[in-house]
Amino acid sequence: MISRVADHCFWFGRYLERAESTARVLQVTSSLALDTELTQEQCWLPVIIVAGEEARFLERHGKNASADGEAVQLYLTWDEGMASLRHAVCAARENARSIREVVSLEAWEAVNELYLWITGKAGKEAYESHRYGFYLHVRRAVQLSLGLLRSTMLHDTPLDFIWLGVMLERTGQTARVLDVHHHVLAKVASRHHVVDTALWLALLRACSGFEPFMKRNPGRVTGEAVASFLLLEPSFPRSIRFCVHAAHDCLSAIRPPGASSLPGGESVARLGELDEWVRQRDAEDARAGSIHAVLTHIVDETAAVGNLVSRELFGVAATPA
Amino acid sequence: MEGSSTPAPESAPEPGPTRGLFTDYPSCPGAYDELLDARGAPRDAFRRAIALLGARSSDELARAQALAELSLLNQGVTFSVYSDNRGAEKIFPFCLVPRMVAWNDWTRLRAGLEQRVRAIGLFLDDVYGPQKILAQIPLLRDLVLGAKLYLPKLRGVRPPGGVRLHIAGIDLIRDHEGTFRVLEDNLRTPSGVSYVIENRLITKRIFPEAFEEARVHRVDHYPTRLAETLRSVSPEDPDRATCVVLTPGPYNSAYFEHSFLARTMGIELVQAADLFVESDMVYVRTTRGPRRVHVIYRRVDDAFLDPEVFRPDSLLGVPGLMRAYAAGKVALANAPGNGVADDKAVYAFVPEIIRYYLGEEPMVEQVPTFLCGRDDDRAYVVENLHRLVVKAVDEAGGYGMLMGPSATAAEIDDFRLRIVADPRRYIAQHRVELSTCPTWDADKRVIAPRRVDLRPYILSSPEGPWVLPGGLSRVALREGSYVVNSSQGGGSKDTWVQKEPA
Repeated sequence: MISRVADHCFWFGRYLERAESTARVLQVTSSLALDTELTQEQCWLPVIIVAGEEARFLERHGKNASADGEAVQLYLTWDEGMASLRHAVCAARENARSIREVVSLEAWEAVNELYLWITGKAGKEAYESHRYGFYLHVRRAVQLSLGLLRSTMLHDTPLDFIWLGVMLERTGQTARVLDVHHHVLAKVASRHHVVDTALWLALLRACSGFEPFMKRNPGRVTGEAVASFLLLEPSFPRSIRFCVHAAHDCLSAIRPPGASSLPGGESVARLGELDEWVRQRDAEDARAGSIHAVLTHIVDETAAVGNLVSRELFGVAATPA
Repeated sequence: MEGSSTPAPESAPEPGPTRGLFTDYPSCPGAYDELLDARGAPRDAFRRAIALLGARSSDELARAQALAELSLLNQGVTFSVYSDNRGAEKIFPFCLVPRMVAWNDWTRLRAGLEQRVRAIGLFLDDVYGPQKILAQIPLLRDLVLGAKLYLPKLRGVRPPGGVRLHIAGIDLIRDHEGTFRVLEDNLRTPSGVSYVIENRLITKRIFPEAFEEARVHRVDHYPTRLAETLRSVSPEDPDRATCVVLTPGPYNSAYFEHSFLARTMGIELVQAADLFVESDMVYVRTTRGPRRVHVIYRRVDDAFLDPEVFRPDSLLGVPGLMRAYAAGKVALANAPGNGVADDKAVYAFVPEIIRYYLGEEPMVEQVPTFLCGRDDDRAYVVENLHRLVVKAVDEAGGYGMLMGPSATAAEIDDFRLRIVADPRRYIAQHRVELSTCPTWDADKRVIAPRRVDLRPYILSSPEGPWVLPGGLSRVALREGSYVVNSSQGGGSKDTWVQKEPA
């Protein structure tokens, strides 16, 4: 397929996933902040850090703003910059619009409707009057779009590129959420067992992982079990192991590892190494002392693969996130 | 050619004014109406279909109209207006009351359009070849060789498959007597066909009974026919040809259509930067390396095709594309240089062109045209500007025009100066009382007459021309307006071309 089109497919997938994950984290944190023992800042600052926006946010809205859930939500939902939910939806839609002939009509309509909703009056009103419903609407619209992509498009290279974007984005999201929350939670943990449990459950919910976790670990909610689950569970579609493996599958379909005459060799090799490396992790790596280094390696390698794909397959020097 | 819909014969039962939505239809004095006769009765050919439409309530129509507009917006069936901000999208205003064309009118039109396209194709071959006709008609010679869109560098280049005019869109209007007339030829990158197909989806959904009653030709096979046409001119084996649509990109006003055509033909939509030329062959950059391209349906203007030839300062275009084209290694649809034949002054010569190349009389009338480059014509034009429509020969989209009857004295004086300064740039015509079609007025919630034109699409392969039995009916939505261009407040309607009686 055309390199430029592949580029748009990849970013279409990334932004779609980013929109859903931003909405999910804000939704879960709003709920957590209502009845937690944590301070408001302990709830909301991690959200800003996960989005990579700590410096810009605090500079614009003042040092105390991270204790203000409304300010954080307003910023991460509507801000004109790159990190907001609105921006993710607009960017997903703009990428899709640039490849209208590739995206199926059904999936395009779902994405376009979400875009018209969030940039129009209906989205604003839902945000003002029914915050939970607002986030839910965004999440469902994205999930519908992702489902339609898989059920109405050829399972072929364009979809592989979209899904590669989805999976690399999801890998990074899970890694950052786990890292930041782990860091914050570790500081406040072990005073009340009930508080701890609530916090780990919120982390699971932020990754849509509550029920799957319970099925694997009935009633045993500990920090290490949660971290281990989000890092290593091979059957959970948001665990790092699952996502890296799925991303590698997509890239291998796009550019088979043995096809040395085709471009993309370095990308697929690097992602293959990461896949193998993650597979070799075990519960030891999910412990408090080692998980930060593990997650940092994963985030760095994921970014490196993204840059290699841009260079080898899209023919661009580097692509801004 | 006369309109088909003469009053019903004496023996037929008196249809009388129809009821419902068309009651009190305020017909437009002096204009032919497409659906209703002067007494407000449905035209014979569509009597039952119109009665079914008229039986709807205005509430139903308002609701259906709103749903249709929402559906177009959600689907992204939009265009960008040049004067708007970058990226601003609007739906092309759509009126759900269809325009209908009777089968006997269509039969004659189709033959006339085929004739016109064949003759213009031969004319282009001649202009970019021996130039015989130019030797015979000196004024035409001066017009052609002086036209901005004439490309002398292409003289002697034979396009792959011998076709230059793969896709033509010919704008027709209907005068006060119901006679169809060609208003202008669009021989470069005529747009709008995607709306023909999208509009049809909506009217079928909203008016299934009337649609069935009217025996309407289908239009959804156009993309398949277009794909066949493109393959038919491939310089290599047509079955293995790679065809692409070349677009300027998502900010172009017709981007929706470009993506629509690529999607419905199942071929790739490319931008200039996706293509490159090596050894006179065109390739597209893919994730698996370069792939050869054989046919390009280009929706970019000649000037932006190849910076090596047209605009050395431009970053747009594909360097070397014209070399590949001249070497016969890639087909371009439409061929570069066609603009010389849809020049508004050359238009005046088309009847002669038809006689010259085909030895036939033109089957479709056109609008009598004064060429300001002719002394007698110019003298008449400058004295009668208040009753004429003046057009600059090299402008399109309703720009560069003077509508004499509605212009101010200052505008008329301004145009007089412009004409005297550069007479060859202008032509003039008497204003034709464009026909009207019943149209939904959303503000007043009534059906009212609005002026329409009709753009049929004609595809040409080496086998000859084929006319899509349908077309884009554009409608001037503002009361009393004659300007149907989408850039100036025009909208569109579905066009129901009737099948022959079984």
